[in-house]
Amino acid sequence: MITLEKVKPLTNEFLESIGFYWHTDEDKSPYVADELVVVTQNEADKYYEATNELYDMFVEAGEHVMENDLLHEIGIPFNLIDMVKQSWENDIHWHLYGRFDLAGGVDGKPIKLIEFNADTPTALFETAIVQWALLKANDMDERSQFNNTYEAIKENFKRLVVLGGNTEDFDESYDDWKILFSSVKGSIEDENTTKLLQAAANEAGFSTDFAFADEVEFDGEEGIFKGEENFEYWFKLIPWENIGIDEGNLALMLREVMDNQKAIILNPAYTLMFQSKAFMKILWDLYPNHPLLLETSYEPLQGKKQVEKRVFGREGANTVILDEKNHVMAQEDGEYENFAPIYQEYVELNTDEKGESYQAGVFYAYEACGLGFRRGGLILNNYSKFVGHVIE
Amino acid sequence: MKYIRKISDYVIAGGIGAMVIAGMQGCDNKSNENSFKEASQVKGAFVVIEQMKNGGYTIVEEYPSATTRIVVRELDGTERMLSKAEMDKLVADEAIKIDNGTSSLTEPSMSTGAPGLGSILLSSVAGAMLGSYIGNKLFNNQNYQSQRRTNYKTPQAYSKSNSSFKKARSGGLKSSTKKSGGFFGSKSRTKSRSSFGFGG
Repeated sequence: MITLEKVKPLTNEFLESIGFYWHTDEDKSPYVADELVVVTQNEADKYYEATNELYDMFVEAGEHVMENDLLHEIGIPFNLIDMVKQSWENDIHWHLYGRFDLAGGVDGKPIKLIEFNADTPTALFETAIVQWALLKANDMDERSQFNNTYEAIKENFKRLVVLGGNTEDFDESYDDWKILFSSVKGSIEDENTTKLLQAAANEAGFSTDFAFADEVEFDGEEGIFKGEENFEYWFKLIPWENIGIDEGNLALMLREVMDNQKAIILNPAYTLMFQSKAFMKILWDLYPNHPLLLETSYEPLQGKKQVEKRVFGREGANTVILDEKNHVMAQEDGEYENFAPIYQEYVELNTDEKGESYQAGVFYAYEACGLGFRRGGLILNNYSKFVGHVIE
Repeated sequence: MKYIRKISDYVIAGGIGAMVIAGMQGCDNKSNENSFKEASQVKGAFVVIEQMKNGGYTIVEEYPSATTRIVVRELDGTERMLSKAEMDKLVADEAIKIDNGTSSLTEPSMSTGAPGLGSILLSSVAGAMLGSYIGNKLFNNQNYQSQRRTNYKTPQAYSKSNSSFKKARSGGLKSSTKKSGGFFGSKSRTKSRSSFGFGG
């Protein structure tokens, strides 16, 4: 059973003062819980270790996908395949951050990978800032949280320049390369999540600017521009598959930009490979019965409770939970039905005394760096709540 | 191989942490204004000053920000925000000391090793902005320039403060060819919130 500690909630006024406008769900209920999940130091350490191990496995499996030409098999749109390959070949395409979604980890339940949101993970603001502010507002020890998310991302920005080297050498090596940050106009959550990352890059020492995606100009020969200013990096809080599928011309342009080495795009295109849920089938092939993995297949599993998902589905959409006889237990419709399905062994999430389910989200930026929880029903969707944590 | 940081070492730093503290102190942010827009308009500084065991003060962090805000962290861990009136008074008091030759900022011999809040404030960029009317007394004084550096908790805090304020932007390349743009222009997202879950 999940143990919760009641806390005084942050006011909407305060949340808005720090740029967190998405504090209320459509049904008017608060999105951030006024409770914290209590975890032990040992449980926090285990989340940390598991996530680091998983990332290493993802890198190994990525190599396997490249060597065996499996990008098509795991559903990467054809017009992105070259960029995925090219970005994989050179470290300069540095992976900034991602979020692992995990079942278990508390109360003796083993940690199991549900998926890796490697490209454009949500809940960054909640994990890095809001849950820390909850501790502070409640006069709790602000160190009693597995959360150096913001610092870790700031450090990782420096690695865009020093790569595997020492981040303390950033100032010496930095040559005023500029990062342009973009999100799609119309979502304050996307906009301020992007600006939070921009603030981290600024503090790391980069020159930065922000422009909505539709204000950015691209030229295959010359690179990426805001107005007349050229940028060496473009960070886009836009899923790669949306670029490939919805804006084919942009995908073409970005490929030219990359071919001509005119700009680096973040997160790199290979994060789409990690993000594909079919990648977990590759992992299972390479690490069968690994304690951190759930069996995953392109075909329905025989005689097992399982979850059917689409290779690129978000927010729990197009997810079906099937029992041992393949009867539907729960289902969410959505817009991703054109993507191929995968079948993943079902695992029970940690629950609280009201029977609500909890899924851990662990951010990764060069190493595991921050834990948060999502609470909801059987399928965690757009109406699930963010729950912070405290280490007892 | 991996850069390991212990969970217990966690401390949130930087302008974002400062913004959270400012929000909690009930500072008047324009409610209809996106606070991140503010961060890009540097007209002031956000300074975190910490009390030392000897009773003196030191500058821990300093970041550019739209308005000047000073957080003082006392020895017992409590944090408070200086009001404009307090800041003005500290600057005015220190100005008198400078005139009388009793300020440790301009007269190192007066230094007790435990600088008061006023001289620390004037060592910060924020103080230099607030105290611009006494600027000439300070900036032409070599002791002030060397003393400033020592009033930061660590050399890193000093150099970080300097580089974040002087960050100069180089002009972009002129482009002669026709560029393409407007992608995702008609696809404004309407969803109030995206979230994580089985989906992602």
